[in-house]
Amino acid sequence: MVTVPGARPITAPGWTGQPRLDLGLVDCDVHQGIKQPEDLYPYLPRVYREQMIEQGGMRIPGSGYFNVPQNAGRTDLAAANCDATKHSTHKMGNSYEQLRDEHLDLWHVDYALLTGAGVYGASVLPDPDFAAALCRAFNDWTMEHWIARDERLIMAMAVSTSDPRLAVREIERIGADPRVRAIMLPTGNRMPYGNRFYHPIWEACERHGLVIGIHPGNEGAGLAGPPTGVGYPTYYIETRMARPQMAMAHAVSLIAEGVFEKFPRLKVLIDECDQFWAVGLMWHMDADWKSLRDQTPWVKRLPSEYFREHIRVGSQPMLEAANNEQFLCMLDAMHADETLVYSSDWPHWDWDDPATTFPKLPEHLHRRVFADNAREMFGL
Amino acid sequence: MPLDPSSDIRRVVAGRVEEIPPGERKLIVPFRGRAGIGVFNVNGDYHALRNLCPHKLGPLCTGRVSGRPEAVAPPSSYAGEPEIERDGEIVRCPWHLWEFDITTGQCLVDPKMRVKTYPVAIEEGEVVVYADPADLPPQPPSGAAVPATMARGRSAE
Ligand code: FES
Repeated sequence: MVTVPGARPITAPGWTGQPRLDLGLVDCDVHQGIKQPEDLYPYLPRVYREQMIEQGGMRIPGSGYFNVPQNAGRTDLAAANCDATKHSTHKMGNSYEQLRDEHLDLWHVDYALLTGAGVYGASVLPDPDFAAALCRAFNDWTMEHWIARDERLIMAMAVSTSDPRLAVREIERIGADPRVRAIMLPTGNRMPYGNRFYHPIWEACERHGLVIGIHPGNEGAGLAGPPTGVGYPTYYIETRMARPQMAMAHAVSLIAEGVFEKFPRLKVLIDECDQFWAVGLMWHMDADWKSLRDQTPWVKRLPSEYFREHIRVGSQPMLEAANNEQFLCMLDAMHADETLVYSSDWPHWDWDDPATTFPKLPEHLHRRVFADNAREMFGL
Repeated sequence: MPLDPSSDIRRVVAGRVEEIPPGERKLIVPFRGRAGIGVFNVNGDYHALRNLCPHKLGPLCTGRVSGRPEAVAPPSSYAGEPEIERDGEIVRCPWHLWEFDITTGQCLVDPKMRVKTYPVAIEEGEVVVYADPADLPPQPPSGAAVPATMARGRSAE
């Protein structure tokens, strides 16, 4: 008999969590990743293929912080790949079959948003042309190896912001495909996302009905600023705690720079940056808007109104309150029935399964968080 | 209704019209230790507001009088320079800078908020604040040099 390290959750001893089959399930953060740079070669122009061979990889800048284990992946999934001792899922990519068997079928997922891996760094690569080519290649690879194989998959296309014209060109190329429902950007970048520099990209997203996805990545790497407002922390756990700072910086910037006045149909998904920062942001920004509105007169309404209408927050990693009463209070304060969407972050070690992540929610709220908010955001 | 619930004063003379020219204001304190009333001249029309901000009870009428900047979303200046609208009609409470429309008492950043306003009449060259519109003197005949309305007084100038 073979001993498999890790355990598939549904068969683990004591496991009682079951998905609610009758309520619908949309997962707003599922990572697909290449196994090696060579996977992208068929989709890249020759000049970049050769550069990658010479340079030995994708030249995606790193920030030097740890992740665990062996980068990010669940070791039980690696075990299912039958080579757990050598490979983590993230480091070696993952496969559609694994996603189908270990996630979509297992949890009865109706739709899953593919949010990519690795190419987040394109936006902070020094060479914007190579960055754009890399995104295009990753998108084509995703289309062929994932999207084409399962109706339940939708895609947040990779886009590099470093040259907005090239980003728009890529959106024009595939953004009209009904399976493409979003673009995916890293939290770490050169400027907050409300800046006018990005507006041509947002214009293209609105025209194609694409959600702007923002996900941790690149903080402190390549051309991006440091992961916190006070500079570079020392350990990985500190960069995780810094995610709400980055989420808030982008959300505030989008509101303050009038992006939602200019592009009133735009939606933004902020994944994997915690959730309850949204409460403090809405309360404080509303109060400050009442005092300082004259400095940003294009912000016509309370900031919280823009937030509730345009910004959606992924549920992973779902904060664990001291007790359910506090937890439900915070959900109420962030208007979770409008703003919160379920995200699993499959297949990473810090993922949130659909059955045990939340305490029992009122039926209405459960439907909003697990399916309806996301369906409305993506037009599903 | 008296100007202050604890007294029976119903009518206060704020001063002569020339003491409060357009763009100026005068603070009157009819009752010792009370917040008082701000009497503003906005382009020749007089308005009286209670000097007590409905937000957190700041001295609203001592705040800066200005207008409301308007501009389109960035890059704003592509569409022209930002403009000030309703210049001189807005007072900003000094405590947290909330804007109030002097002519109506309406708070401009929170539709649920309104500062108390009082009727003003011009009587023989004096600016008079009333506690209750019912006490206002009868309207002068039309064409008279000194019209008085329910909500505001107009200087003779
Ligand atoms: S007390 Fe007047 S704005 Fe707060």
